[in-house]
Amino acid sequence: MRRRTAILALWLVAALGPAAARAEHGRVDAAALYNAGAGALARGDLGPAVAFLLAADRIDPRARDIRTNLAIARARVDESEGSSPRGASSPPAALALSPVESWGASAALAAVGALLLWVSVLRPGSRFLPLLGSAVFAAGLLLGFALALGAREEARHPEAVVVAPVLDVAPAPEERPLSPYLLAAGEEVRLGPSRGDLVEVRVGGNSIGWARRSGLWRVTDAARYTGNSGSR
Amino acid sequence: MTGRRFATLAATAALLLLALPPRVARPNTSAGGKLSIDAKLDADRIAPGETATLTVQVQSEGLNLPDVPLPLLSGVTVERAGTAQNFSIINGRVSRTSTTVYRLIPRGEGVVTIPPLRIAVGGEQAETSPLTLTVSHDVAPRVPSPLQGSLPPGAAPAGTPEIFVKATVDHPRVYWNQQVTLRLRLYSRVDVIGDVDWKPASTDGFWTEGLGPPRQGRQIVNGKEYAVLEIPTALFPTRTGTLTIGSAQVRCRVARVIQPPDPWSMLAMPDVVPQDVSVHSDPITVAVEALPAGAPAGFEGAVGDFHLAFHVDSLTARAGEPAAARVTITGRGNIATIRDPEIHARGASREYVVGTSTKVDRTGDRLAGEREHDVAFVADQPGTLEILPVHFAWFDPESRSYRSQSTESVTVKILPGGEARPSAIVPGGLAVAAPRRASGPLGTLSLDPPAASAALLGSSIVAFGAAVLTGRSRRRRFRDPRTMRRRALEKILGRELTQAASLAGSGEPARAAALAEQAVLSGAGLRYDAELLGLAKAERGHTLRSRGASESEASALESLLGALQAIAYAPPETRISDAKHAIASARQALERYRKEMEP
Repeated sequence: MRRRTAILALWLVAALGPAAARAEHGRVDAAALYNAGAGALARGDLGPAVAFLLAADRIDPRARDIRTNLAIARARVDESEGSSPRGASSPPAALALSPVESWGASAALAAVGALLLWVSVLRPGSRFLPLLGSAVFAAGLLLGFALALGAREEARHPEAVVVAPVLDVAPAPEERPLSPYLLAAGEEVRLGPSRGDLVEVRVGGNSIGWARRSGLWRVTDAARYTGNSGSR
Repeated sequence: MTGRRFATLAATAALLLLALPPRVARPNTSAGGKLSIDAKLDADRIAPGETATLTVQVQSEGLNLPDVPLPLLSGVTVERAGTAQNFSIINGRVSRTSTTVYRLIPRGEGVVTIPPLRIAVGGEQAETSPLTLTVSHDVAPRVPSPLQGSLPPGAAPAGTPEIFVKATVDHPRVYWNQQVTLRLRLYSRVDVIGDVDWKPASTDGFWTEGLGPPRQGRQIVNGKEYAVLEIPTALFPTRTGTLTIGSAQVRCRVARVIQPPDPWSMLAMPDVVPQDVSVHSDPITVAVEALPAGAPAGFEGAVGDFHLAFHVDSLTARAGEPAAARVTITGRGNIATIRDPEIHARGASREYVVGTSTKVDRTGDRLAGEREHDVAFVADQPGTLEILPVHFAWFDPESRSYRSQSTESVTVKILPGGEARPSAIVPGGLAVAAPRRASGPLGTLSLDPPAASAALLGSSIVAFGAAVLTGRSRRRRFRDPRTMRRRALEKILGRELTQAASLAGSGEPARAAALAEQAVLSGAGLRYDAELLGLAKAERGHTLRSRGASESEASALESLLGALQAIAYAPPETRISDAKHAIASARQALERYRKEMEP
């Protein structure tokens, strides 16, 4: 059993270590991203507006102004597509957490759970304490697992936004010819592998074809397109 | 009412009518005007056996084109003949048009009602007006397409068979990718019952395109009139040399009339017997020549007769907004395989292929159609955007020469962009939030865990696992009776003997000795797993020995107990020192028991 625990700990260090090192790079300013998004929204440049505001929302998810402008940008995207709007924007929840905060909450819950369990081991007598410790630890671990899944999905299929006015998503040259999909500026997709100038476009977990990379922005790259949101 | 008063009322009514607002939406158009649908029949009255064509056109502002659900029509076979889509960007607004053609083949007489076709995109809805199609014998049949050509010399069959099939081509010698029209004809002098089963000829080495539905007519062959059913097909050779069109097979059921043996009998009537027949055509060879040398630059293999048109949606655009250009190729030939001419611009920051659509016309003997290719150019800076000339070349097999067509370059003026939209309020009442003046907060866009969180989470998992293991181990040990006895012994050592030593120090040696005696009996009982309290000396010795105590151990214990009991009777000046000594001996004995009970 001790051997299993040691293997699990080593695996966690190996899995989370490089990702943690990556996460330390590139701290960006949410206000700069938000201002870039608000400017693009005012110009009617919906693709960059959605990309900048999505990026700002990742850093500052409780900001009302970011949520409002993101909802407006999405509504305009729907309007340009001729689709029904997605509904009024929900006010930012007080418990909305950024990824960094969520990871912190997950680790804190797991630590408190482990601490409670140690207390119950060293001072036996209460039946409630080990149950509470296990429950708190499980909650932290589940949250961490969900966050790890999201990070893995982002690493494999990064979230992206169409910035070209109209993006032609067609099958790869060697694939069976099908009618191309047309995506409008501001549509949110995920990306797959890339080949030369082309990148696989995924919607709802499924690949819908290949498009030119120049017509898409990854949300994680949004800070590159602003003038003053770089690392400090 | 006088004439003057009537004129005044009429003028007032006319003014009121003029003052009424125009109708908000045309028929078939949604309330917002962003969605429209139109359906029309090529004829509202047809004869039985004829086919009507229903054309449904949908126009939508935006990228989403709704599907048009065609309801089931009783007594009518519906075939989808094809769909063409069109796409345009005008002043940054996207609109799409879809045209779908259905063939309606009624299975009997009557009135066919096509209910309203409804479509919806978002909050917009539109529907067509209902249509009716009357199928009646009273309607004069529409003139069928004339059957072109006749059987070439030598192709006519020997004699006058009742039914036979012939395959012919219009050109036995063609260029690569030039159309060859294959006509597969069924000649019959007897009634054909039911459907005809066609097994098409093999056309290896050809690109094949059907030319509309079967055509009917009548022809004279070897002096006999035949009903003719023809299936025309356009073939485009994809390689040079001698290509063979295989044999086609037709299976059908004919009504054969058998005359009675005695023609003078009044009761004898001709007997009609259905008979299955199978006939096939002869193979045909076609010689395919390579295209002549001297192809102009930009020739991509188009063969036929074509025309190039070029259109730019606006001669002005704002920086950052797309300027759309469309090249349209129309003409006769294999329009679906034409490679789109390239459209490029000077001064564009980005260019996007918006889409390509093809419409094919199969109504005639020659395949014709239209191919559109849309490209959008975006300039980020004000200035000029020059869309370069578009060049298209093709080979004309009629004139046996290459031809080409080029457009002029088009200059689009790029105006400064960037001004805000007039309305900052979107439907739903949200106002665009203002930019921030202060910076922050800082954060990362990555979803990966921060190092501190990863370390804390990992160490928490390790700590949790260690706690689980430790707890399990402790529980296992505590369930062991020997461990439980040892823990009880430790309590005696820690509590009762300490209290006894304290009493001895405080001048109460008798109580201290009594407490120590009880502790020693309890400890010995725990050591040997027996209840010794309350037992007489002899019985105690017997119990100890029966529990594994040696004779020397039993006597040492009895000696210690005797020393403790004797303290009460000792002289007062020796009691305290004797008590301390005896208690120390008792502690040594209990410590020895504890060590013996360790695992």
